[in-house]
Amino acid sequence: MKIFVTGVGWAGTAGMGTGRGSTPFDLPPGELPSISRHEVFPEADSRFGRLDAFSRLALAGVALALRDAGIEHWTAPRAVGIAASSTYGCTGTDLEYLATLGEAPGLASPQLFAYTLPNVFLGEAAIRFGLTGPTLIVSDEEGTGSAALETALDYIAGGGETALAGICDLARPAQLPARVDPTPGALFLVFERRPTLEPLGALNWPEERQTHPDGSHGLRALATRLCTGRPFSKIRTTRKGTA
Amino acid sequence: MSRVWIVGTAAITALGEDADTLWGGLLAGRTGIGPLTRFSTDAYKSHVAACVPGLQPQGPGSLAHALLERLCALLPPLPPETVLIASTTKGGVDCLERVARGLPADADDIPLPALGAALRRRLGLTTPAITVSAACASGSIALGRGAQLVTSGAAASVLVVGFDVLSEFIFSGFSALQALSPDPCRPFDAGRTGLTLGEGTAALLLTSPERARREGREPVGELLGWAASNDAVHITAPARDSRGLIQAIRTALAHAGIEPGDVGGVSAHGTGTLYNDLMELNAFRAIFGERRVPVYGVKGALGHTLGAAGAIEATIALRALAEEVVPGTVGCTVPDAAGAGLVRLGPAPLCGSRMLLTNSGFGGVNAALVLGGRPR
Repeated sequence: MKIFVTGVGWAGTAGMGTGRGSTPFDLPPGELPSISRHEVFPEADSRFGRLDAFSRLALAGVALALRDAGIEHWTAPRAVGIAASSTYGCTGTDLEYLATLGEAPGLASPQLFAYTLPNVFLGEAAIRFGLTGPTLIVSDEEGTGSAALETALDYIAGGGETALAGICDLARPAQLPARVDPTPGALFLVFERRPTLEPLGALNWPEERQTHPDGSHGLRALATRLCTGRPFSKIRTTRKGTA
Repeated sequence: MSRVWIVGTAAITALGEDADTLWGGLLAGRTGIGPLTRFSTDAYKSHVAACVPGLQPQGPGSLAHALLERLCALLPPLPPETVLIASTTKGGVDCLERVARGLPADADDIPLPALGAALRRRLGLTTPAITVSAACASGSIALGRGAQLVTSGAAASVLVVGFDVLSEFIFSGFSALQALSPDPCRPFDAGRTGLTLGEGTAALLLTSPERARREGREPVGELLGWAASNDAVHITAPARDSRGLIQAIRTALAHAGIEPGDVGGVSAHGTGTLYNDLMELNAFRAIFGERRVPVYGVKGALGHTLGAAGAIEATIALRALAEEVVPGTVGCTVPDAAGAGLVRLGPAPLCGSRMLLTNSGFGGVNAALVLGGRPR
């Protein structure tokens, strides 16, 4: 079946952007700026400032992608799914929580603990955008987001209408060794069976569950191809090793 | 739709690692919950947990390695191209704890996919592992994802392994949230006072009937339907109107091609918290109406094993299908009024040939599975 890519949103060290915007897609290494509410949402949002840094970054990516697809606003809940990949998830929040535990074990912060599950930002996104489909963190060993991408596409192939796939990481916490050091940033793509806006691209799924000729795969590779105007027929994804 | 056979199961819980001991313990109403000695609980609301007997760390790595090493000894031979899907809520957070305290720790265990990758290498599997984290529904969502890979033809066989070990990080957090019961938890009891944490692991090997026959593997059951949903209401509290769980159950039943009347028993999440249990019971009422399908929960015996819960509970549900009886709900003595006629205190016969399994968790997640017994 043909699944359309209808939105791309990202937030990284070089700023934020969308597939239909004028900023070229780029998620380079570097230092992530702090994300404030007004950069993401034009209207007041009492929750955003209370979120941990991981949730703010990921929610920004989700919001920008939905906006790019023209489906940010809603009037009734919709069974939209989100699959996201992360290497460290909310490890930074975990360390903040552990600091409160170290100060006084019986007085550890329940507010911080609530954000020490990597999937909690998906709940935030679900609440804000009325998304009632499956939401999960699904991480691949290589950190490419390929597992999240395939999960989202399979959801639509299985009957779902719309799903997002994303990848999100803050900078590696300084206490941890540099052997595993993902590029910080959030990238989310919207996939639809029936696009609301003119699609940015399309995939034949599951036929294209195969290795891309140049070996690149995963969400960044897909976003790069989409946002640099390559023909849709060149879009390929893979779960490396099984293709 | 292609069928998904379950051709192998294994589980390690506070009631041991032998399937008959686990099943017999549940039927007898035994509990693995006892005094928690792994770390000091002086500052916390509870002093009990359901720990795996004899579990000791192996060096500076996560305690999960020791747990998973035991599990490996129980697994059947695996085709090398088997896709491993690991489900966990916090993976190697015990190592992060030690990093934060300046103690020796293997920080390589901290990234989310790390322990799944290590297990994949330990098992000699060639396909990169996938790690699912969806709070307390991680295990059941991982099973659904595994079944999806089999039915789509993307994987010939999938090993789903749910695991989580008890750490002070988790214990202190649930204590801070006022969610821990001071006594062993009492799922669905009118006087329930919160949850009891546990730890454990379970594995289920999924494959297609064709592949199973070719390899001479006998099925123990079938995964017939699966679905997940989000409440979109609150990040830590369940939807009072049970909307997300109802949606997940209805979708899973439709996916399995069955009606509520075909369900012969329900393996419920049953944490023992006031609102989760009530939310679940209301969902079951909405689905089953006045029908008295037997509902049970195992967390009064095994504690809440978080990312392992769905996988552990699926192995038990498959045994229930094989024995045509559901275990009782250990810890529950006087069911909540909302569960009258549903919640079983002791073993009860199945009233249909399919089992429904449900889990819910933080982030608003819900998952439902429909399991069938050994295909004839």
